[in-house]
Amino acid sequence: MTSLEEKKPKTGQKYVDILHAQFGDAILDESWQAADQVTVTVDLNFLPQVVETLYYQHGGWLSTVAGSDERPLNGHFALYYALSVEGSDQDFATNGEKAFVVVRALIPPHKPEFPSVTPKVPAAIWYEREVRDMFGLRPVDLPDERRLVLPDDWPDGLYPLRKDAMDYRFRPTPTTDKETYDFIDLKGEGIIQVPLGPLHMTSDEPGHFRLYMEGETIVDADYRLFYIHRGMEKLAESRLNYDQVTFLTDRICGICGYAHNVAYCTSIERALEIEVPERAQYIRTILLEVERLHSHLLNLGLACHFVGFDTGFMQFFRVREKAMKMAELLTGSRKTYGMNLIGGVRRDILKDERTKTLKWLAEIREEVKELVSILLDTPNIVQRTQGIGMLEKKVARDYSPVGPTLRGSGFGRDTRKIHPYCAYDRIPWNMISEAGCDVLSRTLVRAQEFFESVAIVERCLEMMPEGPVLVEGFAYKPYRFALGYVEAPRGEDVHWSMLGDNQKLYRWKCRASTYNNWPSLRYMLRGNTFSDVPLIIASIDPCYSCTERVTVVDIRKKKVTLVPYKEMERYCMERKDSPLKQF
Amino acid sequence: MVLKLIKQVIKVGEATVLYPFTPVEVSPGFRGRPQHDPALCISCAACVQACPSNALTMETDPDRGIQTWGIFYGRCIYCARCEEVCPTGAIQLSHDFELAVMSKADLYERADYRLAACRRCGMLFAPAKEIEYVMALLEQADFSGQILAESRLLLELCPSCKRKMDLHKLVNLYQEADE
Repeated sequence: MTSLEEKKPKTGQKYVDILHAQFGDAILDESWQAADQVTVTVDLNFLPQVVETLYYQHGGWLSTVAGSDERPLNGHFALYYALSVEGSDQDFATNGEKAFVVVRALIPPHKPEFPSVTPKVPAAIWYEREVRDMFGLRPVDLPDERRLVLPDDWPDGLYPLRKDAMDYRFRPTPTTDKETYDFIDLKGEGIIQVPLGPLHMTSDEPGHFRLYMEGETIVDADYRLFYIHRGMEKLAESRLNYDQVTFLTDRICGICGYAHNVAYCTSIERALEIEVPERAQYIRTILLEVERLHSHLLNLGLACHFVGFDTGFMQFFRVREKAMKMAELLTGSRKTYGMNLIGGVRRDILKDERTKTLKWLAEIREEVKELVSILLDTPNIVQRTQGIGMLEKKVARDYSPVGPTLRGSGFGRDTRKIHPYCAYDRIPWNMISEAGCDVLSRTLVRAQEFFESVAIVERCLEMMPEGPVLVEGFAYKPYRFALGYVEAPRGEDVHWSMLGDNQKLYRWKCRASTYNNWPSLRYMLRGNTFSDVPLIIASIDPCYSCTERVTVVDIRKKKVTLVPYKEMERYCMERKDSPLKQF
Repeated sequence: MVLKLIKQVIKVGEATVLYPFTPVEVSPGFRGRPQHDPALCISCAACVQACPSNALTMETDPDRGIQTWGIFYGRCIYCARCEEVCPTGAIQLSHDFELAVMSKADLYERADYRLAACRRCGMLFAPAKEIEYVMALLEQADFSGQILAESRLLLELCPSCKRKMDLHKLVNLYQEADE
């Protein structure tokens, strides 16, 4: 740790000092992974208070919570609550000390439970449910006791991520097709439950939504995801060595795969204190922004599609082809770039590639400018998206959403500015945020971010220094751990990795950005109409969900009707002939 | 706005490409199907070790004295790690991406390499081509004559025989020193 400490001052020290002052003996230990990353071990009973203090009193946002089976190492289970602490509203401007403070607590194996943080910090809800499913650590007083990740017929007492539980290839035989998940039971005069799923409308992945409606207005929503949980974390622990996991991370997501790749690589590089060459950092920045281009164009295209403007959808996708070609030119593949290894990148950017990329960037900028102006001039776009799907500031503060979803509600939080990585602190660029809190704001954020991305790539290509692109021959140190973070197109991606003693990962927690956005979705849906649902869900740009048909259940008349996906979508676009008319 | 849109659509024209009726051009660095040249391969298994998805395999058959290199394109993720680590350039990624086949067996390729036996104890210990490769490297490093011949004798020993010969050499050295 010495060289890093000498070079950079420790940001975040003041938060550790505050914790010591406030909690005294409950703070057991502190260890630094980087100049702006500290892990503080606390007494288990004080876990909720410490997290709450950092969250609400010092401008902390919950980045991720990782459980870990550390019984082979120290005889306990461990919980890591990673918070991005950014300074409270009062001292945000004056003392911008922003750091990652990871609150760690150890849980004895004979009593696998811990005081739930969710009653104090609602953002922890999904994380604690997941820890319970995966490790069998029971959060005491957790408001929502349902399973999050595991299917209904998964055997009790079998916790997949425990070291002694099961092989990563094990699949218990399915016992039943019947879903026994308890959706919330909202009773009331005239309330209709409308299930959507498990195969969904704006994307191609499964998720089961239930909408509770009064007439055409949504009163509440409940949803269940994780139908396609792939068990990547266990896979990475068992089968791949830490350098090969980079190829797995590319495949976490079909849109922000490279962001995950960089988050993972930076977590390992930080843990092992590897200094990635500057040229490699610029190349990573370029590829991250190229990825943002294609992702935002996809979302803008979908926004067109859902207001019925299919021509715009087709045009956006035509232009998006250029972004895909750019990726193919620079990395050899339209997606799954496979460009990173621990220590840098595998391929350099050649002169020809640079020239072609700059040419395409100029073209793409002009074309998208034209298309965005056409989109915003579309007669019904403002009417369809303004005031729809409101994410109130208080809800956002409580649930820690990320990305354009959060920036559309007036919060200026972008990982690239708050915790700069790669080359983002060396080139000038602007962070975009809008204050409308609605679907329109989020779409505008993405449209403006697109142009910023184009500018960032151009600047990187101009300012890239000469030099090597990969550093090899670094020392591998087992049991080191660190956080890696990246602003993916959808928001902050956070990876927490701990290395094992066998050139493999001991524990890897990979938190995709949409994971933080899902819990606040139900608040965004409340008060809106049935026809706006696809639009609102598309506005958080889910990287993870789909519903294919809508089952409409009238609980009073006890009638069930299937509304096909096409019908649902058509209704969203045309706003005529509601499929709910029969009720 | 409609006018702007119509002008745009007319300007763009038809965006449909003629593929598959015409070939599609891919970028120069495109990562397609790995192609293996069995003549250049020395059966060192570096690619097998690097492959993240276990598409590449190496199986040893001691009875027949053969090592079989294999690739299964169903597992390949086109990452090009095999190309990166190969010492002789025997495996390289092509621009081939049309890989649908009618029978799964067509996705497998194999190459057999003869194993060399230890000159002293007869145990099969390394692919013959690997030994030839090392000899070629030594020749290129300007080893010649007596030293080159002795190197070959050393290379054709299995690791345990090498250790035993080392012991003999050490004992001889000691004895010479005493004299």
